[in-house]
Amino acid sequence: MADKETVIGVETRISGEIRGDEDLVVKGRVDGKIHLSQALTVEKGAIVQADVDVRTLVVAGTLVGSIVASESVHLQPTARVVGDLASPRVMMEAGAAYRGRVDMGEVEAARAAVASRAVAKPAASSSEAAKTRPAPPRVAATPRTVAPVASTTKIAPRFVAPPAGDRTAAAPVSAPPAFPRVAGAANSAAPAWAKKKIRRR
Amino acid sequence: MANTVIGSSIVIDGEITGEESLTILGTVKGKISTAQSVVVEAAATVEADVDAQTVLISGKVTGNVTAREKLELRPEAKMVGNAKAPRIVVADGATFKGNVDMDV
Repeated sequence: MADKETVIGVETRISGEIRGDEDLVVKGRVDGKIHLSQALTVEKGAIVQADVDVRTLVVAGTLVGSIVASESVHLQPTARVVGDLASPRVMMEAGAAYRGRVDMGEVEAARAAVASRAVAKPAASSSEAAKTRPAPPRVAATPRTVAPVASTTKIAPRFVAPPAGDRTAAAPVSAPPAFPRVAGAANSAAPAWAKKKIRRR
Repeated sequence: MANTVIGSSIVIDGEITGEESLTILGTVKGKISTAQSVVVEAAATVEADVDAQTVLISGKVTGNVTAREKLELRPEAKMVGNAKAPRIVVADGATFKGNVDMDV
C-alpha cells in the first residue's frame, strides 16, 4: 500500500473514474465515479458528483450521487448529500442535510441495482440527472417510489447518532474525530444550491 | 509540498485539472492539466497528455508533455511522446522517444 494516502487537493478537479484499494480524501472536486475497497472521505468544502461504491464513507462536504458503502456511512454535521444510499450502518449527525432513499439491508442487491440502472438508462439515473447543474438538486435525484417520506424530519428519528466512542470505532481508517480543515474560504467553492437549497425545504 | 496525491493503488480514468501541485504514484489515464508542478514517481504510470508549469518524471509516461517552465526526466524515467518546454533535462539512464520542442 502507498506510504502516502491519496488526496484530491482543494484546487484540483477530477472528472472521470477513480478506482483503487486505498483510502481517498477529497478536498477538491470529483465528477464521475469513485470505486474503492477502502474509505472515502469527502471533506468540508469538497464537492463530489459521483456514484460512489466504497467500504466506508465519511461526508463533511457535498456529495451528489448513488452511494453504496459495504461497511458504514457517516454524515457529519456539515454534510450535504443527495442520492440513494445503501449501507448496513448509517450515521447522520444533527445538521447533516440528506435527501434520498436509505437502504440498510442488502448492500449487494443495492449495488446490483445501481449497476443495472446505470447500464439500462443512464440518462434517467440520479447522478446523470444531477449533472445538469445548476438545476437545483431538488429536481435531480429524487426517485420517489416511496411516498414523500423522504423528508429529513421524518427520517431523522430512525438514525440515532451513536455515542462518541462508537462513532470513532465506526469509521476506523480515515476519520479523524475532528476534521483538520477550518470552515470558511474553501466553502465558497460550493455552488449556491449546495449552500442553501437543501436547507430551505 | 504536493497538495494532491494519487496513491499507488489508485487508477484514475479521466481528466485532472487544478491550480496546485500533483504527485502521482498510481495510474492516470486521460489528461492532466495544472498550474503548478506534476511529479510522476518511480512506480507510477501515466497515459495522458500533461500540461503543467514543471514536470518531473521518474516513472512511465505515455503522452505529450508540455511544461511552461521545465521538464525533467530522472534516470528511471521512461517517456514516449512529444516534449515541449523551454528547459528540458534528461538524466543519464532515462529513456525517451518523441519530438522535443524547446521553442528556439
